[in-house]
Amino acid sequence: MERVVNRPRPALLSGTLLLVWLVPAAAGAQSEPHAAAPPAPSEMSKLWLVVGGASATLRSECNAPANPDSPHTCGQSPYRHSGSLIADIGYRVHDRMDVGAELFWMPTNTSSGHIRVTHVDAVAQFRPWASQGFFLKGGAGLAFLRNWVDAVGPSSIDQKALSVVVGAGWVFRPADRLGLEIFGMQHAGAIGDVQTSEGPIENVMGNFWSVGAAVVIR
Amino acid sequence: MRRVVGVTFLAVIGGAGAVGAQTAPAAVPDAPRSSLLAEAPDLVSAAVAAGLRQDAVCRGKQQDQQTDQSPDRPSRRACDGCPPRSVGKALLEATFIVNGMAEAANLIRGQVTSHITPKTWWANMKQGWVWDLDEFAVNQIGHPYQGNAYFNSGRANGLSFYESAAVAAFGSGTWEYFGETNYASLNDLINTTLGGAALGEMFHRAGWLVRNTHATGGRRRWSEIGATALDPMTGLNRFLTGDASRVTDKPADFVPMSLNGIFSVGALWRGDNTHAVKSAAEPFLEMDLLYGDAWTGRSRTPYEAFAVRLMFGGGAGFSEARVRGRLLGQPFGGERGQFLVVQAYDYQANDAYHYGAQAFNAQVAWTAGRTSGTYVWLSGWGGLTVLGAVDSLPVDLNTRPTETEPPSSDGPGQGIAEGPRDYDYGPGASLGGFVNLMHGPRTLLGFTYDGRHLYSLSGVRANHFLQRARLDLSVPIHRKLGIGVASEYFSRWTAYQDPNHTVKRYHYPQFRVYFTWSVS
Repeated sequence: MERVVNRPRPALLSGTLLLVWLVPAAAGAQSEPHAAAPPAPSEMSKLWLVVGGASATLRSECNAPANPDSPHTCGQSPYRHSGSLIADIGYRVHDRMDVGAELFWMPTNTSSGHIRVTHVDAVAQFRPWASQGFFLKGGAGLAFLRNWVDAVGPSSIDQKALSVVVGAGWVFRPADRLGLEIFGMQHAGAIGDVQTSEGPIENVMGNFWSVGAAVVIR
Repeated sequence: MRRVVGVTFLAVIGGAGAVGAQTAPAAVPDAPRSSLLAEAPDLVSAAVAAGLRQDAVCRGKQQDQQTDQSPDRPSRRACDGCPPRSVGKALLEATFIVNGMAEAANLIRGQVTSHITPKTWWANMKQGWVWDLDEFAVNQIGHPYQGNAYFNSGRANGLSFYESAAVAAFGSGTWEYFGETNYASLNDLINTTLGGAALGEMFHRAGWLVRNTHATGGRRRWSEIGATALDPMTGLNRFLTGDASRVTDKPADFVPMSLNGIFSVGALWRGDNTHAVKSAAEPFLEMDLLYGDAWTGRSRTPYEAFAVRLMFGGGAGFSEARVRGRLLGQPFGGERGQFLVVQAYDYQANDAYHYGAQAFNAQVAWTAGRTSGTYVWLSGWGGLTVLGAVDSLPVDLNTRPTETEPPSSDGPGQGIAEGPRDYDYGPGASLGGFVNLMHGPRTLLGFTYDGRHLYSLSGVRANHFLQRARLDLSVPIHRKLGIGVASEYFSRWTAYQDPNHTVKRYHYPQFRVYFTWSVS
């Protein structure tokens, strides 16, 4: 895993940027009728839908070895950058809180193969101030890791991990049906053991930092 | 009488938190238990008997609360006795007061981890989350107790349960990244946030039991001080804002439908892995508190009903803490059945395993034959464990080591755990159930089963399956006094993911004789 090098995904990144650029235009194009009469919170649907993209950074490492005599040490792997996709679907509890399921998908190409990570989390998003767009987000679930890197072996290996996500951001036009949010999030994937061609690596933890933007539909 | 029960019982609970936070996990404690909710049969039946009558009151109370809790009142108070709502103050208190006190405590103790600088902050942020190597009690009691302070920074400033849980997560995150030189710990984040919400709401409501908002003068002051001992953040805010001397009604949300407790005092005899039972008796004190009526009515107010079990002795100073808080309740079958979603906090130390967890359960309860004086009360539950901890038993050992190695003198410094950690972390699942034969408010015969699975992600790689069963027979002697005997059996099944796929089993019997004293 340590031999893996970064390879940005220009298509995904440009797609993300395009999305970020297009969303305000789309939102703006529909802003007039809402500006005239924004729906009251009680009239809004209970749907909470978020779709967007982010620039993400991944680093995995192992720590806290259970067996101090283990011959295998993994140390710290390099930071790997890539684009990622994010989607939420859920329920608007009230005007300051949404709950639902979140999908975070990040593919990474390396010199020795590629890695795909998918986090599926139950999340809650909370806006402390109803009149402001600032929000906090947290949740937990499962991460699905698919490795095709040489260090793992000749074929892909699929693993599941405990996933935890925390984040914060700002949602523009939170009371409208269509809005935009920018966010920063950190996902952690506690993988456990990774079986490699050189033997198992114990207590592997993946950290994923992401900064991006998304469309919000309510 | 209710306040007397509350004061007595909950002062002990408060003390237990403080004691537990400092408990070293080296001693090998004792004894399995069955479900907390299941193990309060007298309380359960009392609640059933009063169910329909209380339900009407409950619904009226909830409607009042919904009206009262509008956040947009000009006064920022949801009700006259409620604290003024301030999100910013809650976040600031969690960040600077709670974290500041923890940092000061570390500095006074000479902890190396307290030497924080912007460089350590940046290093922590670059590193991301890791598993930490702290002691079992620190992670499973200490961090949830710290989370209770973050959580109650929110509650003290008028935030709801779920909003305060977000404050606990925020406070934990700031502490992990900026409060210590240690890397941010994922297990601390989960234990502090979820454990903090469970303990925090329990302590917050306990504080409101003790607080006498109609009193004045010295009596009022002492009630506020007593409540502050249980819930320091709410007490601090009330003294600072002057609410500690204002005469008001208590917020309706914090007046329980009922309050009951059972004290059990006796002796137990523990077995070992060969089924032999030791001749030496171990004294124990077990306490159950049932706040509110968990078994009837429709509820969407978290912790409107909750149950707490604490056990001292029986082979360890502090051997068990359990909190079960109802997040929602929905009756079915004409009030004979109840569906609940429950948040669970667990800390257990017994001969078979040391276990701690943050979990959520779905539970169904049902009564049969309640038209007669004798009836059957049964329940089943199952759920997910977000993160659990169980002591490691390396595959080449047959018994748990009784002594841990002292830290080396040339270690990285005080406050930095060197490992290896002697317990495993991972997610899992749980299931269980109970059947009780009741006569009026008393349990004549009760059987409880509790099973837990844990998949280790950090530590010795294994699947752990922990089970326990308990059969109780109790007889009333005079009024609130009763006598009982119990036979218990618990086992640990660990399947290691080593090349040989080693499986090890441990099983322990236990017997106890006890007197009970019921209070309500």
